[in-house]
This record gives sequence, C-alpha cells and structure tokens, in this order.
Amino acid sequence: MSKFLKFTASIVLLGSAWATNANAQDADAGEKVFRKCAACHAVGEGAKNKVGPELNEIFGRVAGSHEDFKYSKAMIKAGEEGLVWDHDSLTEYLAKPRAFVKGTRMAFGGLKKDDEIANVIAYLATFSSSAEQAAAEPAPAPTGASGGDTAPVETAQAPAANAADAVIPEHGVYHLGREALPEEVAAWDIDVRPDGVGLPVGSGTVADGGVLYDDNCAVCHGVFGEGEGRWPVLSGGFGTLTADRPVKTIGSYWPFASTIFDYVHRAMPFGNARSLDADQTYAITAYLLYLNDIVTDEDFELSNETFSEISLPNEENFYPDDRLDEANFDTNVEPCMENCGDGPAEIVMRARILDVTPDGDDESGAGGID
Amino acid sequence: MSQQPEKDKNFVPARRSFLQGGLTAAGGAAVAAIGGGAALAAGTPDPAITELKDWNQYSGPGVDAAPYGVPSPFESDVVRRNVPWLTADPISSINFTPLHELDGIITPNGLCFERHHSGVAEVDPAEHRLMINGLVDKPLVFTMQDLMRFPRENRVYFLECAANSGMEWRGAQLNGCQFTHGMLHNVMYTGVRLRTLLEEAGVKPSGKWILAEGADASGMGRSIPIEKALDDCLVAFKMNGEALRPEQGYPVRLCVPGWEGNMWVKWLRRIEVGDKPWQLREETSKYTDLMPDGRARRFTWAMDVKSVITNPSPQAPVTHGRGHTIITGVAWSGHGKIKRVDVSIDGGRNWQHARIDGPSLSRSLHRFYYEFNWDGSPLYLQSRAIDEHGYVQPTKDALRAARGDNSIYHNNGIQTWYLKTNGEAENVEVS
Ligand code: HEC
Ligand code: HEC
Repeated sequence: MSKFLKFTASIVLLGSAWATNANAQDADAGEKVFRKCAACHAVGEGAKNKVGPELNEIFGRVAGSHEDFKYSKAMIKAGEEGLVWDHDSLTEYLAKPRAFVKGTRMAFGGLKKDDEIANVIAYLATFSSSAEQAAAEPAPAPTGASGGDTAPVETAQAPAANAADAVIPEHGVYHLGREALPEEVAAWDIDVRPDGVGLPVGSGTVADGGVLYDDNCAVCHGVFGEGEGRWPVLSGGFGTLTADRPVKTIGSYWPFASTIFDYVHRAMPFGNARSLDADQTYAITAYLLYLNDIVTDEDFELSNETFSEISLPNEENFYPDDRLDEANFDTNVEPCMENCGDGPAEIVMRARILDVTPDGDDESGAGGID
Repeated sequence: MSQQPEKDKNFVPARRSFLQGGLTAAGGAAVAAIGGGAALAAGTPDPAITELKDWNQYSGPGVDAAPYGVPSPFESDVVRRNVPWLTADPISSINFTPLHELDGIITPNGLCFERHHSGVAEVDPAEHRLMINGLVDKPLVFTMQDLMRFPRENRVYFLECAANSGMEWRGAQLNGCQFTHGMLHNVMYTGVRLRTLLEEAGVKPSGKWILAEGADASGMGRSIPIEKALDDCLVAFKMNGEALRPEQGYPVRLCVPGWEGNMWVKWLRRIEVGDKPWQLREETSKYTDLMPDGRARRFTWAMDVKSVITNPSPQAPVTHGRGHTIITGVAWSGHGKIKRVDVSIDGGRNWQHARIDGPSLSRSLHRFYYEFNWDGSPLYLQSRAIDEHGYVQPTKDALRAARGDNSIYHNNGIQTWYLKTNGEAENVEVS
C-alpha cells in the first residue's frame, strides 16, 4: 500500500528528473530500448544473427557487410556507396529505416523519440570497441514531443491532503474505481468477433496488403506465408489435418477470418505491435486470405462492409469439448491394483532425445509447444 | 516416429548435476561408486568432521550483505531451463520448472516456469489500469490502489500449461521431468475475486462470456464463460506473499483455477463482458485439440487429473545404491482435490498406495511419498493419481486410443521412468 502512495507522490517529480537524465546518453536506458530490436537482433557475447545481423562492433561497420548475413540488395548497395555505421548514420537510420536506406529489409517503423535513439546508440556503443568517441558526444536535448509519454497522465490517485476530502463515487458495492470514459474504452477495446462486432470502419485491397506484407511480415513469415526458419507458417497445409504431421494455417485450420484481423491488429508485426492502422490491417488480412486461396482476386477489397462475405473452409470442423465422454473418464471403474496387464512390463519406447542440452542449439527435436 | 535422427548422447545436464551433487554430498569421494553419498567407510575418519571448516572459524557476511536473499551457491543448478529448438525465438517461448529439485507443494517464485508471447512486459504499476467494459451497468477503471481496497483472498492453485507433456504424445521424447512436466507451478495467490469486481460494474443479464486481456505486446486474450468468471477466478497481485514477478504478470494477473495456463492472463488490463466468445487466436489457432478425424475440440479448458514422480527421474538419479529409498512426486487435478496416489515399481503390474503429505487443497499440487527397500534391480516407476470425483489418471496408450497423436494439449498420461541398476533413470514407455 505505502508503495503506491510513494509512487503517486513522486509522480510530479518524475517529469523533471527524467529530463535531466536524458541529457546524458544513457546506455542503461538504451538496453531497455533495445528490447524493441531484440526480436530481430542480438548483441553482446555470443550474439548470433537472427532475423537481422548481430550488432557487435557495429560502429565502423560498412553497412551490409556482416559476412554471414543475407542482406537486402539495398543495404549492400548502401554499403558499397560508402555508408558506414557511426553515430550520425545510426541516428538517421533508426529514426526512419526505410527512408534512410530505401528498400531495406528491416521491417521496423523506426524509433519515434530522440532520446530513445541516443540511448540505444549509447548501448550499442558499449559493444563496439571503436565507439569511445561516439559515447563522448552530447545527446540531443529531448524535445517537447519526445517527453510525451514520460509524464504520467493519471492524477486521480493523488492522495487527498485530508482523508475526509476524498470523493466517493456512487456505483457498485464498495464504490471503488471510476467510470471509464468512452475514449478510454475505444483506445483499448479493439477486439473483433466472428459476427463482425468490433470491426473498425476501413478497407484495404489484396494488392495493397501484398506491399505491406512484404515490408512488415515476410522477413519472418516468408514471402508466401511459408514461414522462414522456425517462424510460424501462415498459409498452405490444405488437407493435412489427418496426416502424420498436420500443418495448421489460416487456410487449413483456422475457423474464422475475424481472428486474423484481430490478431494482426493487436499483436503483429512481432516486436512492433499496434503499429498498423485499420486500413493497413484490412489490406494485410485480405492478402493473407489471398495467400490461402480464400480470395483469388488481387483487386478484392476487404472492409467492414465486405467482411461478412468471407468464411474459412475449416469452420464447421470445430466442436465443443466432449472429453468427459471418453472411456478415460469413467468413474465407475476401480483401477486394477494387482497382477495387471499381460506378463511383466517391457520397454517399447525410449526417450528420443537423451541430450536436451539446454545450452546447445540442437535442431533435431520434433514436436512443439505451439 | 523416426523422421529425425536418433540421438544417444548422454544427457548432459543430468551428468553435471549428478557430479556436483555427488561431490558436495560425499566431500570429494569417488562419485562413480554407488554409495558414495553415504558417510565414508568405517575406520577412516570423515574430514567433514575432523577438519576445521572455514565456516566454522570465520564470520560470514552481515545482515546488510543481501537485502533480497538468494539461494546458496551450491544450489546454482536449480534453475529454469529452456529448450532452444522448441520455438523460433526466446521472446515467444517457454522455460520449465525444475520439479526434480523441489519438495513440498509450493513453487518458489523465481522457479515458476515462464511462457510469454512477446517477452516479459515491464509494467509500471502507477500507470497500470484494469478496465471492465462491455455488457455492464457502468464501465469502470481501477488503479492498483483501487484493486487492493477490495476484500482479499489467499488461495493456493496450480497452473499448468495445456501443452505440458505435449512433446510426449508420439512417445517418450525428452529426458527429464523438468522438460516432460515442468510447465507447472503451484503458488499461493493473494487477490480479489473477479466476481467482486464484476459486481462493482454490474453484469447485465445478457453477459454470458468475458474476455480477459493482457497489457503486453501480444495483447493476450481469452474468452471465459461467465459461470467460471463468477465462480472462483481471482485477480491476483501477490504470489507466495510478495508482489507478482514481472514474468508472472506484475502487477496483476488472472487466476482461472484448474483451467489451462494460457487463460491466466498476465499483466491483466481489461475484462470485457459479452454475449458470445471472441474466438481469438489463442482459442482457435492454438489451444484447440486436433483429433484423428481432422476435426478439433475447442474450449478444452480443464486440466485433468495427473501426477509424476519427480525423484528419482532422469535429472535426479539415485546415488546411494540399494537400501531404503524414497520415491516422491506431485499430483494435481483441475477438477478438485487428489483423493489417492498409487505408485508402481514394475511398470503398472502391481500398485501400492503412496502417502500424501502436506496440505490437500482443491486445484493445488499434492506431494506424495512412497518409501521402500530397493534391492538394486531395474525398475519401471509409475505414479497414478485419482481425484475426488473418481477420475483416474489414464495411461498414455489409452489417451492415444481416444485422441490420436496430434492433439498437443492435455496429455495427462502416466509417466514411466526406467530406473537402472546404476541408479540412472530414463524416460521410457512400457508394454
Ligand atoms: C523486424 C525485425 C527488425 C527489428 C525489430 C529491427 N531490425 Fe535492424 N535489421 C533487421 C534486418 C532484417 C536488417 C538487415 C537489413 C537489410 O538487409 O536491408 C537490419 C539491419 C540493421 C542494421 C544494419 C546492420 C548492418 O550490418 O549493416 C542496424 C544498425 C540495425 N538493424 C539496428 C537496429 C536497431 C538498433 C533496432 C531497434 C531499435 C532494430 N535494428 C530493429 C531487422 C530488424
Ligand atoms: C520478427 C518476426 C515476425 C514478424 C516481422 C511478424 N511476425 Fe507474425 N508471428 C511471429 C511470431 C513469433 C508469432 C507467434 C507468436 C506467439 O508465440 O504467440 C507470430 C504469429 C503470427 C500469426 C499467427 C500464426 C498462428 O498460426 O497462430 C499471424 C497471423 C501473424 N503472425 C501475422 C503476421 C503479420 C501479418 C505480420 C506483418 C504485419 C507479421 N506477422 C510479422 C513473428 C513475426
């Protein structure tokens, strides 16, 4: 309890304390910012290439030159034309990756705040031996806009100077909490149901979706939705549900198209969620339907109006849990205690993988956790 | 079964902990020799007794050395572990509780397995809100402080991921109960009944379902029927007495007792009341159980009666040789309390009642023990739990007969460990 009082009491100070902090580049703060990159990049001891190249010794690296990484043509060309990563070029690239290197495969919208950029660069500098100079440069002072979400908005909880002055709302049993404003509900309530409830107004075509998909999704999910490496497969798998190794995709398994819209809108692209607006999400959803042969016309426009025309082929193959009807759940059978089974037990199967090597990167495993 | 190359390397972590365990227990005596863990042979004085130890002579660190205490360095092997090849990326992945290192029924906070879909959200509690909207008389917003002013409850519940043991559907695969059964933890939660919060907002008669949603970057969401929401669901902010750990949903998570872990939404920020389920990704693409006919069960929420022997097990071999031996493990049921646990040492041919010790609480782990005199011959160890409704933990074969190999979730089959004469244990299946 006291903790929260402290929190609220210190809120007023936070804004100014933060501003002072941000005047110096802060590698520690940059480590946090780096989480926005960590879905695709590793840095530090033992860092390997992931979706993007590992970023050790990035200062002084010619763009697109990490030997073992497959870059876009655009990044290689930028390097050939003389782009070397330093404080300035990183600052520009991280603000607007696609504007700075046109055609880069880095599916990342960019960092919006100057202090985030400065801090993440300071953090990367700690893994670059040639970066002392960069570390010494002053960071740009935070602009008004960049302070945006560091000043906490909520004031409702400021402790009343006098307990007797606290305003007690009328609702409910305990009169706790306050009414949610319509704008607040709208900001969070973005879920979409199969019957279309929750769909925002908007539209997008298959063709538009293809461009967005290639830029934002293909690095992980593959150009045709086939999935790069172990990233999820989004298309195909038709007729495999009874096979030895079923491939469960939007086309082969998912019951409802609304789930695509809802999920992409709330959770994708991975590591940069909630960055697509309604029109973009309609377009990408249309494209995913196209990749799964559910719509076939590149001009098809998906919108809140046309959504109800779409149904997925596997919808009727889902049914409610009926486990309790299995013989396993019969409670009238006393389990056998003595001389059960035929003859002595014999091994019929051994652990397939004796070496789970948590620290290795053994790729031989089968099965998954989904 | 054999699309992947067979591997028969020795299980490395077990080896390592075997060695360390042996060394510390036997004070440097040869480990390979079974029985090395016992006091040294008669006639040779034990240096652990005769030599003056540093800790017996010099003062240790003071009370200011560890404001938040951590385990002994000798326990550094007791950690969560992940299996890199299971998922594309550790940010959307899983690690496992080291069940074979624990006793009693409570899982320590730092060892509770983690599963998240966009990494651990770091939420500032001062800026966290819980919203209730949808089919309610008045949509409400609560701060953390508001939540803590509602009447609180303390309850111990297990949380099991629906995919626990999911890798074992096609046959024995991972060698260690940490990996076969470690998507499981058992914690005492402090929180507020979800019912209390819903009543504060006033659920409309048309409200039949709730959507629970998280504040993390995966926006985790699950539909839950209103009956369950108004029954025992808990909005929890403490685990085992202290604030939730970030990886368990700090500052607030949902507990859905007895039901699959994915529904226990972490970083809970919104409850919407509606008249139909939402059919979000985690209840359609995932957490639906594919049957052999290609159709799929949905809304398979409850976790069925299950148990596993945690010691001995592949990561926890018997190092003391024959003689008095303790078999121990855990049992649980999403339907209520455990009534009985049976143990077999001959692969299910003959069964004995195990002894349950410690609290027996509904939808919580139960700890069982079976003590016997091991003659050193190879054994097939199994445990079988029966819950208060009379549901009996099935064999894996019975499950496969009913559900095929591809349903991933809800594998509560009986586990077999093959205990060899040298004390090592291996994950096997028997006839
Ligand atoms: C969605 C995945 C993704 C995210 C998120 C991402 N990157 Fe990248 N990044 C890439 C890819 C892919 C490339 C290679 C680009 C190319 O070949 O055009 C790249 C290239 C780079 C390069 C150039 C490396 C070189 O060797 O030339 C830098 C520097 C970089 N990223 C930094 C960052 C930082 C810092 C962040 C976080 C603020 C970030 N990236 C976020 C995928 C990503
Ligand atoms: C950095 C890699 C990455 C990028 C880029 C990415 N995704 Fe994903 N995607 C993932 C991961 C990882 C998951 C699984 C997340 C989880 O475990 O919950 C996923 C899951 C999905 C799923 C659900 C798959 C299933 O079978 O349930 C869909 C649909 C999807 N992504 C669409 C998209 C779209 C559309 C984009 C572009 C706007 C995108 N993704 C960009 C990594 C990525």
